[in-house]
Amino acid sequence: MWSKKAAAVAGGAIFLTLAGLIRLNYLFISAGLVMLTFVVLASFLDVWMPNVSIRRETTSDNIFEDGTMSVKFIVKNTGLGLGFVEIYDGLPPQARIIKGSNYTLLYMKPWQEVSFEYTLKLPIRGHYHLGPVKMRVKDAFDLFYNERIEDTVHSFSVFPEIEVLEYQIIKSRSPKLLSGAMPLNLIGSGTEFYSLREFVPGDSLRSVNWKALAKTGKMMVNETVKEDVMDVIILVDAREVSAVGGGRDTPLEMSCRGAATYAKQLLDERNKVALMIYGESVEKVDLDRGEHHLFKILTALSSISPKGNLKLGIVLKDLLPYIPSGSPIILFSSLDDDFTISEAFTNTISRGYPITTISPSSLDFEEKMNRIPVEPLLIARMERENMVSEIRSFGMEIGDWKSDESVNTVLQGG
Amino acid sequence: MEELEEKPSKIPKIGEVINYKDFFGEYPIIFGIKIISSLALVYVILEFYNYHNPLDSLITKYARGPIPGFKPDPAIFVVWSFIAGFGFYTFTLFKGKYKFFLLLATVILLAQYISDPALDWKVGEHAIPTKVEIENSEVNQTAWKWEPIKILYDDMEGSEKRIDDARIRVSNLIFGSIAFLGAFGIWKRKGWAIAGSIALAIIIGFLYSPNLCLENHDANFCGYEVKEQERTWDEYLSSGIFIGLGFIIYIELSYAAIKYENYAEQFKPAGLDISLLTDAQKKGVSRTLRTLFVSYLMNLGVMLIITFTLAEVVINVNDYLATSEGRIQDSVELQGPYGIVFTSLIFFMLLGFVRMFIGADYDTEDT
Repeated sequence: MWSKKAAAVAGGAIFLTLAGLIRLNYLFISAGLVMLTFVVLASFLDVWMPNVSIRRETTSDNIFEDGTMSVKFIVKNTGLGLGFVEIYDGLPPQARIIKGSNYTLLYMKPWQEVSFEYTLKLPIRGHYHLGPVKMRVKDAFDLFYNERIEDTVHSFSVFPEIEVLEYQIIKSRSPKLLSGAMPLNLIGSGTEFYSLREFVPGDSLRSVNWKALAKTGKMMVNETVKEDVMDVIILVDAREVSAVGGGRDTPLEMSCRGAATYAKQLLDERNKVALMIYGESVEKVDLDRGEHHLFKILTALSSISPKGNLKLGIVLKDLLPYIPSGSPIILFSSLDDDFTISEAFTNTISRGYPITTISPSSLDFEEKMNRIPVEPLLIARMERENMVSEIRSFGMEIGDWKSDESVNTVLQGG
Repeated sequence: MEELEEKPSKIPKIGEVINYKDFFGEYPIIFGIKIISSLALVYVILEFYNYHNPLDSLITKYARGPIPGFKPDPAIFVVWSFIAGFGFYTFTLFKGKYKFFLLLATVILLAQYISDPALDWKVGEHAIPTKVEIENSEVNQTAWKWEPIKILYDDMEGSEKRIDDARIRVSNLIFGSIAFLGAFGIWKRKGWAIAGSIALAIIIGFLYSPNLCLENHDANFCGYEVKEQERTWDEYLSSGIFIGLGFIIYIELSYAAIKYENYAEQFKPAGLDISLLTDAQKKGVSRTLRTLFVSYLMNLGVMLIITFTLAEVVINVNDYLATSEGRIQDSVELQGPYGIVFTSLIFFMLLGFVRMFIGADYDTEDT
């Protein structure tokens, strides 16, 4: 194929020759003919152009937010030709290259194998792909080239970032048959301290609190919280309103990070976890346990996009009949633009489902972007505080999640 | 121990005043390409004006109306225009306020240069008010004396001469713009400036009319006496080949400098400089650039030799055909511009014929 440069040089050369004929300028004629000869001769160079094959290798198929992925290209000249090869690997617009480059220019000799690599970082969850690879084999002067688009597309997912939680927060009164690490808020054999009581015959001496004995002179024993496995429902608000802000700073992104962290913790403790996402419709990942299930949940979280405006009241009304009785529900929602919240909480609690709310504050993002004037922002903050107080008045836990706080901190608060 | 606070120096560092790193670049090989490209540019323009006397140009004919002293001399304006283009590039390297100060200093110096002959400063005996005794007075009377500095208009003609001189020098940029744009394009890495310089060369060449000067001025002014110059047909063709090759070297090297610099640029962290790359990374980029450039130069060298050889062959074949007897010679005047174009077209046809049989086959795939 002709490049723009080749067209310009050839056009200029023809113009010089013709202008020379018109003006009887011998110099123009000979200079134009020399340039034209150069272009014509360069067109012969593709006879010796290399025959190139490309292979892409990556370090992993999936990464977490802010994680890095190394991409290596192995380029091989399978023929006797030699020449310049330009390679460009297509990247998603969100990707940031932190080392190397996704573009390279090589001079390939016969049968030569060359490799180059670059490292990229993706700051935000989602499903992405690398490629296709654009390849140009061209002459040294960029006059003629052969272009090929390799359909070597590498798909991968970026999962929401997971933090390690330091404490268990959620408690359920609905034990299952298998014992586990989740505190049930019932007195029983476990590791978490619950209260002190007086020693009665039959108590193990191992449970005696010797410090309390020294202090009070009475035999006191430690009571611990009974631990067991349970079914936990994680409910994520993915309505359009949850996309307020930008980049990683949106209630939805924070919710995804929180949900991923919590799901990991719960699954590590051998609980069954279900994920429900509501926005335009309700999408579910059914109750299950294990590493494979975590992968399913993370994949579902990576796929979330903000859309729709389903209200929490309607969602819970539909879902509650299918949720095992007494199972704790963890709601990740900014609680914006939803008049059914009070009603939804009342219904859920009255049916015996404890509901813990983790609420990323969208007002912080609005404030950061200076999109709301001071007075309306103040009123909005007061309204939000009232909402949080109202939910607390139901006796349920709620974490008011500020944008600069880590998942770990807010869940402890929750 | 008390911590000693280091006072920031009032003298700015050179890096804060001018981006001198841009001049040397980060890789010596690219700096080398720019120097070779600059030399090719100066050579090709000097050679170009050797065959296109600016005094014979239509531009000169019409420019002498508003600028009576307009007499462009390639020996002067080519080099000075190149320096002006390079100077303009240097000016763009200055940062922020320093750029403004430099512009201001240039304007002031120019104004001073022009006004210097016209303005004379007469400083009074008592520039500062002083109490002086009055001579021949009966009592020792004193009085305040003060003679301020006076500006006198002295040599107005001198200033006017300087204005005319400056105007003529600036007007030389009409022809010198090829070198000006070329120098700026090479060093500032601006493709449009390089393309512009070539376009201007074509325009200036197009407006050239042999011996036009003698139609309007005498031989003393034009610098030659006879209407027909002593250059032969072969000389013209050979010079044309060298000018053509010179243009190719200039275009190729200046664009190569831009291309390879852009290639090296992508390895820099966004918005930062090369200092953040590790030594191994720098060496890696340097090594790649060296390989690419050496291969490129070899390709260019081979191509130029083949082009030159082919051009010489065409000229000789044309010369042979023109001087021998035959039917073609009788019907087409080969010893002239149409002849060389005709012979070249035959060669291009032959090359196209050869091209049919070599090269990759591109089979069309069934849809």
